[in-house]
Amino acid sequence: MIRKLASLALLSLTLAGCGPTEPQTTGGPAVTRRLTESQYRSVIADVFGPQIVVAGRFDPLLRTDGLLTIGAGSATVGAAAFERFHALARSIAAQVTDTTNRDVLVGCGPQDLRTADDSCATEFYSRIGRLLFRRPLTTDEVRDQVKLAREATAVRGDFYTGLAYGLQTLLEAPDFLFVVERANGKQLDDYAKATRLSLLLWNTSPDDVLLQAAEGGKLKTEDGLKQEVDRMIASPRFKDGVRAFFTDMLSLDDTTNLQKDTTLFPAFTLTAANDGKEQTLRTLVDLLVTRNVDYRDIFTTRETHISNALGLIYRVGVNDPSGWSRFDFPSDDPRAGIQSQVGFVALHSHPGKSSPTLRGKAIRELLLCQRVPDPPGNVNFDKFNDPDSPLRTARERLAAHANDPACAGCHKLTDPIGLALENFDGLGQIRDNENGAALDLSGDLDGVKYANGAELAKALHDNPAAASCVVNRAFTYAAGRQTVSDEKAFVVYLEKTFADSGYKFPSLIRRIALSDAFYAVSGQGAGQSPAAAKAGTTEDKS
Amino acid sequence: MSRSNILKLGAALALVSAAFAGPALAASGAKSPRTLGYVVTQWDYATYESPFADECPEGLAVGNDEYWWRGLSRADKDKLTNTGLIQPIDRRGTAVLRGPQGEDVCWKPEIVKDPPMRTVKGKLAFGFNLDGTTDGKATPKSCAHEKFTGVDNTPGVDNQVYRLLGCLYGWRRNGVMDAYDDEERRNSGRGVILMEITNVDDARNDDAVDITFYRAIDPFSLDATGKILPYGSYRIDMANGKPRYGATAKGKIVNGVLTTTPIDLSLPYYANSIFAEMRLRDMQFRLELPQGEGKAKGLMGGYYDFDKWWEYMMKAEFLVATGDWSCPAMWEAAHRLADGYPDKDGKCTALSTAFKVEALPAFIVHQDRTAAAR
Amino acid sequence: MSFLIKRPAARREILRGLLGGAAVALPLPYLEIFLNTHGTALASGAPLPVRFGTWFWSMGHTPGYAVDPNTDQLTFLKECEALTPYKSRINYFGYFNSPLDGHPNHVHQSGWITVRTGTAPPKPADILAPTLDVLVSDHIGGSTRFRSLDMGCTGNPKDSLTARSTHVRNPSEVSPIALYARVFGPGFADPNSAEFKPDPDLMLQKSVLSGVEEQRKRFEKVLGAADKARMDEFATSVRELEHQLALQSEKPAPADACRIAAKPDDMPMGTELPVAQANHEALTKILTLAVACNQTRVFNMSFNDTLSSIRKPGTAYTHHTLTHEEPVDKNLGYQPEAFWFNCRSMDALAAFIKAFESVREGAGTLLDNTLIFAHAETSFAKIHQIDNIPMFTIGTAGGKLKTGRHIAGHGDPVTRVGLTALQAMGLPLEKWGQGSLQTAKPIGEILV
Repeated sequence: MIRKLASLALLSLTLAGCGPTEPQTTGGPAVTRRLTESQYRSVIADVFGPQIVVAGRFDPLLRTDGLLTIGAGSATVGAAAFERFHALARSIAAQVTDTTNRDVLVGCGPQDLRTADDSCATEFYSRIGRLLFRRPLTTDEVRDQVKLAREATAVRGDFYTGLAYGLQTLLEAPDFLFVVERANGKQLDDYAKATRLSLLLWNTSPDDVLLQAAEGGKLKTEDGLKQEVDRMIASPRFKDGVRAFFTDMLSLDDTTNLQKDTTLFPAFTLTAANDGKEQTLRTLVDLLVTRNVDYRDIFTTRETHISNALGLIYRVGVNDPSGWSRFDFPSDDPRAGIQSQVGFVALHSHPGKSSPTLRGKAIRELLLCQRVPDPPGNVNFDKFNDPDSPLRTARERLAAHANDPACAGCHKLTDPIGLALENFDGLGQIRDNENGAALDLSGDLDGVKYANGAELAKALHDNPAAASCVVNRAFTYAAGRQTVSDEKAFVVYLEKTFADSGYKFPSLIRRIALSDAFYAVSGQGAGQSPAAAKAGTTEDKS
Repeated sequence: MSRSNILKLGAALALVSAAFAGPALAASGAKSPRTLGYVVTQWDYATYESPFADECPEGLAVGNDEYWWRGLSRADKDKLTNTGLIQPIDRRGTAVLRGPQGEDVCWKPEIVKDPPMRTVKGKLAFGFNLDGTTDGKATPKSCAHEKFTGVDNTPGVDNQVYRLLGCLYGWRRNGVMDAYDDEERRNSGRGVILMEITNVDDARNDDAVDITFYRAIDPFSLDATGKILPYGSYRIDMANGKPRYGATAKGKIVNGVLTTTPIDLSLPYYANSIFAEMRLRDMQFRLELPQGEGKAKGLMGGYYDFDKWWEYMMKAEFLVATGDWSCPAMWEAAHRLADGYPDKDGKCTALSTAFKVEALPAFIVHQDRTAAAR
Repeated sequence: MSFLIKRPAARREILRGLLGGAAVALPLPYLEIFLNTHGTALASGAPLPVRFGTWFWSMGHTPGYAVDPNTDQLTFLKECEALTPYKSRINYFGYFNSPLDGHPNHVHQSGWITVRTGTAPPKPADILAPTLDVLVSDHIGGSTRFRSLDMGCTGNPKDSLTARSTHVRNPSEVSPIALYARVFGPGFADPNSAEFKPDPDLMLQKSVLSGVEEQRKRFEKVLGAADKARMDEFATSVRELEHQLALQSEKPAPADACRIAAKPDDMPMGTELPVAQANHEALTKILTLAVACNQTRVFNMSFNDTLSSIRKPGTAYTHHTLTHEEPVDKNLGYQPEAFWFNCRSMDALAAFIKAFESVREGAGTLLDNTLIFAHAETSFAKIHQIDNIPMFTIGTAGGKLKTGRHIAGHGDPVTRVGLTALQAMGLPLEKWGQGSLQTAKPIGEILV
């Protein structure tokens, strides 16, 4: 911790001293975004404690401009989704007010439990409502819930049962389910600032300290803001924020629906799928936060953490089969970089076999922020299907694609990358042949030739798109929307300072959190977000 | 996975332990000398069954329920069964209480005398020649007994446990005892035995290797359908800073078949919710090691200490109906057939036996700390 | 836009007098009357409720092996053999086209979107108009507890073909247990039970929703125009739940076909064919009873996902990859494995029809009072063809449709079939669809 604070202090000096200065921006529109599943869960755990069970399915968000977070800016709540939020709210409210939790979480109550207690209800809704709505409740808002609690207490004959109805109302109100951004002139207001900060750094809503800072106007001052940002980055909760960002950037939530043929891949289990995602997140947090190394090392690292379920797939021993163990692949191992881990190679494969095309597409789109067009509708597979020349390896089969001009354009973008990972089968287990034929792992990435996956890892590390991709994603993730043209110079500035910092990820996030650009709102009026709907589902053009 | 990849991974493990000074791992492969780790997935008495049960010419042994039933009066029978409405399984608790004063005949097997138990009369068996004789005459470490010919024609095979259990329903192919035990160990992960072959210069031919047995504290690694997977990691059960079980035998590998010189050792035995222990003497092994991945299969044989053997049989008394044996008859026969390690009175204290063993490649984790025992 | 229909107002007033436990007389829902003596209609003379559902399979048909193209008598060939017993209850629509007005063919997407929305998507995920089941449910879904039940058989809730817009999609229920719990779990009132006592919690839940609506109005004040539109959708969702609660607080009308479904076993989920088939069977069973018990009048079933991930256990190739990568057998003239999977989809459709036919209702079966619209997302998957997408209507929609016909579209837009279905369901529509997909011409040959 001391070392971390020292390095942060050093970082502050660097920021304050030389180096490029932040270009002026007028900012983009404010965004109203729906809470993501992980944010919802974090908030409930933070406000009420981890013992409250959030049992329910959440409606998927639409990935937009590469991020679910941006999709959240256009998401609404359909009938089925609202039915589920309603059920969740009811279950959470019942748990908070039950005999196990009420003493701690409510903390007050009437002498006679059969009667209403307006002052206790007022205190409770004001305190909890502020944390749920990320701002103090208005008098009317509190009054409405107190009234409902009073009526419900009369019907149900129990104060706490009655209290639950008002809490349920708060939990299904749009003020909770949607993060709305109000502005003060050309800057977000202090509560919106606090919320953006908290979602970015901790993937949850502001804690009491941050809300107090917002209330006291501290976030308006450079020192006050810095104090809060540094407090939050120094906290272990910062890792939650980093995990949420990379879960979104790398589409790791798709692991939930990952399916493999268990006859072909007996080592595939639900645990293995979840552990694959967890391994990648642990690798990233360890490298980027705990050890604060060069971001680009994620493409070449052989240092990771594994569980027994993953040891079965990697076929390596695990020091602690009952949990997670640090594990390093040897320096000549073909396994290098997060793109060689189960969480990536198994995710971007078919249920029964690997897919160089899916893997190549994922590397282009997720790690380099490049757009791979969708396949054309008029594909002719006749050459490919010639029964007289059976094609044994994926390379041979895809070569048939690449010779067809209609297919070649896109497959040339994806396949050479994916083919370098063909020594990992559909589950990510190592292999040295496919259907008995030797594997050729060579190819080139944007002109850099490589002989195998480990060399591809190096090529990714050195590809300028890799660093600019994470900068772009980090800023759009933070803002909850695609960049506007006015922000281009700011993004270039972020890329430059990211490089100058030695590609240190926390430094990038800190710079965003302290920038003026992050809080600037274009002059389209307080809380308006006209571009959110316009953004649609357009993908990056590059 | 190809051999070359296994080698590479072995090297990876060596590196792990070096880099972190953490617990060392034994892998199914390492550079000179290598270590081959295995987890035992099947451990059954090696019984030989001919297609028409010729080895049991008198038929299968008579079990406890039968003796108990024969001893009841007609009136008692009607009362006990409510004229047929109460099933035998509901009578299990009472059936063993057939001593003169209602004593438990498994806890006091000498309290009643049943007719002699039907045992194996066949000539063929799995096992090893443990006493070195071909005729079974008494030696300083054995009592006079009948010999078998090995199923592979080895002369002078000793396997008195087979002679004893081979005509018992519960231990035959369609019986439930061993099959259920393997199943229960697979599910519960209790009593998991690890085998670690060390100092392997050449996995196909090596004239000096060591093989050490441990108990694991981690359950089996299972696939989604519950089958045991290869390459799981298992920590060794430690007590007071050293392995709770950890006997080492000297051995050699010839054309991929590992054989060992006899050793005395104890191994965990968990079956039918019973924790017991095998105390084995002159134990020797013949294991076929797989080329590449796959199961190691083989035979282990030696003398099973009588008291330890009976301890399990006695604790398993609630299964006498399932396995269909009589404790008094078995007690008598086992004493009669005991062939190893005579005491000062010349009475043998151990039974020759053999086990069929299967094992999958596994990573054996040597911890530098004492682990909690189960 | 001609397809926009005003939804019936929710019955929000009903409960107001009940808060606090005071008993008031409730207006009876129109269903709370008995069947006429012939069992074909309600005593008032109104017909039995008509239901609408979709059934989707992906990868289309093998050209020349599904339906005989040379006759207007509906004749099923080898790939559709399973449907032959139900021929008289089915119409088949062939040679209808999906013009995209210059938008690309987003493979396995554009096809179904044209069929269901009457619009061509500029981008793969674009839903420019509500899918037709949503239009039907806006029209008739208000009388039941659920406006619609949406199901998928391959384990992923995202595999769903029903949406109001790009951002408002109706995810699929993929677990039979979850579907069972939603329909027959707490909140279900047996329509044939003599006892009915509304839970006092229902009234308070209604108050919660009023509170939420109050908050929404406050919340909306700070929003821009685009976000206000999103809040309108939120408001609609709140109203729909209010409506559901309102229905739950009334004694349900008797439903003679209603039997309470048995609780299904916990089943594995996934893309292996036997798993998908088992889930399809279990979901269908619950669905038919949910429909018979008046819990919903609209439903959507996806047998496989649009990129058919269905596969045989232990094999590396999915149905979809087979359609592209499997060589054509020179003797048979088609891709044998892909063909086999197509047959299994038709088996499933036949099983679905059978399930509706096996529920007796009035003098006939549930199928008599249902319109099932079944279709694929492509015609010939090998080349991603979207002209001639195979479509069926099954059932007569309570006597509104003739059946047993093979209708050739001669290149007309696919929307003619959708418009026909919408009109059969009683929607006051003259025309439907946008651009080249717009049509004002229903298929007169089958409309009664």
